[in-house]
Amino acid sequence: MKIELKGRIDSNNAAAVEKELLDQLSAGGAQDVEIDADELEYISSAGLRVILRIRKNYPTMKIVNVSSEVYEILEMTGFTEMMSVEKAYRRVSIEGCEEIGRGANGVVYRIDQDNVVKVYFDAGGLEDIQHERELTKLALILGLPTAISYDVVKVGDSYGSVFELLNARSFSKILATEPEKMDWCVKEYVDMLKRIHSIEVPEGKLPDAREIAIDWVDYVYPLMPEDKAKKLRALIEEIPKDNHMIHGDYHTKNVELCNDEVLLIDMDTLSMGHPIIELACIFNAFIGYSEYDHDEILSFQGFDHETAVRFFYKVMSEYLGTTCQTKINEVVDKARVIGYTRMYRRSHRRNLMATEKGKAEAEQWMSELLELLDRTDTLLYSLNELDIEAEADNLTEVQTFVEECLAKTDCSPKAMMQINVAVEEIFVNIASYAYAPDKGRAVVRVEVSGDPVCVTITFIDHGIPYDPLQRQDPDVTKPAEDREIGGLGIFLTRKIMDDLSYEYADGKNILTLKKNLEEGE
Amino acid sequence: MHTSISDGTYTPEEMLSMVTEAGMDIFSITDHDSIKASGIIPGLLKEDSPVFIPGAEFSCRDENGKYHILGYSYDPDSAPMRKLVSTGHGMRMTKLDSRLRFLKQTFGITFPEKEVIALRAMDNPGKPHLGNLMVRYGYASSKEEAITEFLNKMKSSSDYIRPETAIESILAGGGIPVLAHPAYGSGDELILGDEMEERLTRLCGFGLMGVEAFYSGFTKKIRDEMLDFADRFDLYVTAGSDCHGKNKLIEIGDTGLDEVDEIPSRLREFLGDATQRSGRK
Repeated sequence: MKIELKGRIDSNNAAAVEKELLDQLSAGGAQDVEIDADELEYISSAGLRVILRIRKNYPTMKIVNVSSEVYEILEMTGFTEMMSVEKAYRRVSIEGCEEIGRGANGVVYRIDQDNVVKVYFDAGGLEDIQHERELTKLALILGLPTAISYDVVKVGDSYGSVFELLNARSFSKILATEPEKMDWCVKEYVDMLKRIHSIEVPEGKLPDAREIAIDWVDYVYPLMPEDKAKKLRALIEEIPKDNHMIHGDYHTKNVELCNDEVLLIDMDTLSMGHPIIELACIFNAFIGYSEYDHDEILSFQGFDHETAVRFFYKVMSEYLGTTCQTKINEVVDKARVIGYTRMYRRSHRRNLMATEKGKAEAEQWMSELLELLDRTDTLLYSLNELDIEAEADNLTEVQTFVEECLAKTDCSPKAMMQINVAVEEIFVNIASYAYAPDKGRAVVRVEVSGDPVCVTITFIDHGIPYDPLQRQDPDVTKPAEDREIGGLGIFLTRKIMDDLSYEYADGKNILTLKKNLEEGE
Repeated sequence: MHTSISDGTYTPEEMLSMVTEAGMDIFSITDHDSIKASGIIPGLLKEDSPVFIPGAEFSCRDENGKYHILGYSYDPDSAPMRKLVSTGHGMRMTKLDSRLRFLKQTFGITFPEKEVIALRAMDNPGKPHLGNLMVRYGYASSKEEAITEFLNKMKSSSDYIRPETAIESILAGGGIPVLAHPAYGSGDELILGDEMEERLTRLCGFGLMGVEAFYSGFTKKIRDEMLDFADRFDLYVTAGSDCHGKNKLIEIGDTGLDEVDEIPSRLREFLGDATQRSGRK
């Protein structure tokens, strides 16, 4: 039960206060006593003795809303060591303050040039604050640049956490007002993202993002066709456990530029898991959330849908380290599967479907999800593998992809050119003959192994079985007009690469090309 | 603890039976500025009664502040003790007179003659007694109001017992002078650290022999600080509940001693010395 203490308590009124408190307590009969000292101005030792005596009868008693003057007395006399004493919180008004961020548990406002306050939605937000403080501390220990809250304040009926962010500007603000800085933002944003994803989280310190994603699926499971729901669950369950950190709410309002330093804020959604779950949340933040109503992004982030889409795809390209659109889209589609699942759940959970707009957007998300499920076999992706329509037109993309995979090696320009020729020969061959007259897909996998540095490029298609190595080399000594048509490509490839092998397995043609990159150097 | 002789609610007889009931081995009564209980209790003790140590608590003042000084194991018949008590009582009577005069002159408050006689008959009538009377005669709605709104408006007199007078008299009367609830000063202050150090240095210079480190109103932190002072100044340690009967919600015997595993040696030495001194007489 809650009891209020007011004004002064000293030897003049201590006895009366004590009697009144005991009357209230015996009337309340409760065991958990909380003394609200919000209006307590002063307490003398006579008052302390009253508290001590009450505590003897109610050992779990705690005192809240203690002013700093009273707190000092309680601290000096050891009361803070023997019972729970919570300081009163400074009151802060957010009237007219700019909203600079919005997280899962609260909204961040700028209260002045150098300080921001995160106001928690939940009126009992003290636990949330504690939780986030611990997460922030953990993030700092693990090496993330972030701001730690230095004060807890009261904002209306809620609690807030105050941070110092000197001269801070969120990336959203920069994107909205300085479009020419887009590429710079992309780079810094991705650097930070990679930094987050490179952190290994000690066992048990953060929740498992996969478990969270499974909860999302379980929620929407009964709301969709059973076969699709089963597939969705299987896809999520297939995501391996991963102990790398995930931010969980990584959008541009949560990345701040502070005195030339990029800081991450809003740690309450930290978890650990496979990056595809993070990418899903990023997709939602920039596209999914405002896919139906493009104005949403403008009111949330301050920049328009077009900017959001551009930023998102640039980020994906930078993060995945490829400009290959097919590769980027492949990963984005996987992210969308999880993203739409979450958005649809949100619509249901928050009862947003009551409005026409809410219903329409939820239906759009579900139909996108169902369509994606039809053509998604895994949510895992590999950055050295490209799954692409086997068409001659896609050659440049395949070549770019291979080049980007080799960019980190010391591949000489000459070797690169040779590899390009080989890739062209093989890919065009597949495009022309493997599925003719129909169409199909090809997978190109690039692997680099060390000492000596060697690249292995594997081409896989589901077309008619065909072993190009069985083909006789053309007799290049014959005059041009006498030569057979075709066969020159595989001949060239043999010359360029150090080793070629073919196998037909599980209905797939698998052609493997190897080249030693250190040869002759 | 205090009996109805000062501001407690139980008579010395009642107190003795309560102490016996509670199974205590040893006890003292420390009425404010009075040694009457020390004359009454010994006559009531039986074979199986707890050991009794005579006590009293003297309110003292000097330029530096207010002090409550306990005297234990004094000889109740000794001249210095009798003089100390009568000085104290005389001052209280003077103070009573000036308070009555102040109430009359400032607020026009007067009481029937029989009430004034009853006040004078008391051993040490103080603000609470006057306050109660003011409530009874409709001048104030509560004792607290009477004290804060009326009685505290009077400038205190310059007539008081100085701590060295109390300490020296107790010593001369064969007793042990001890500083009561040191951290709380005269009851409503908070004196710790350097301030306490300064106080003890001064009082020890007069012959103070102990500190009441165990006290019902102390937290562990304060108690430990007082024990630390006792070590540094080489003082006895005593334990007091400050039980006032029904006037305060302190259980008899609640001194905070139950919170330690074993009785500290400085307290044991005090008890040894105190019982020896009382046994002598």
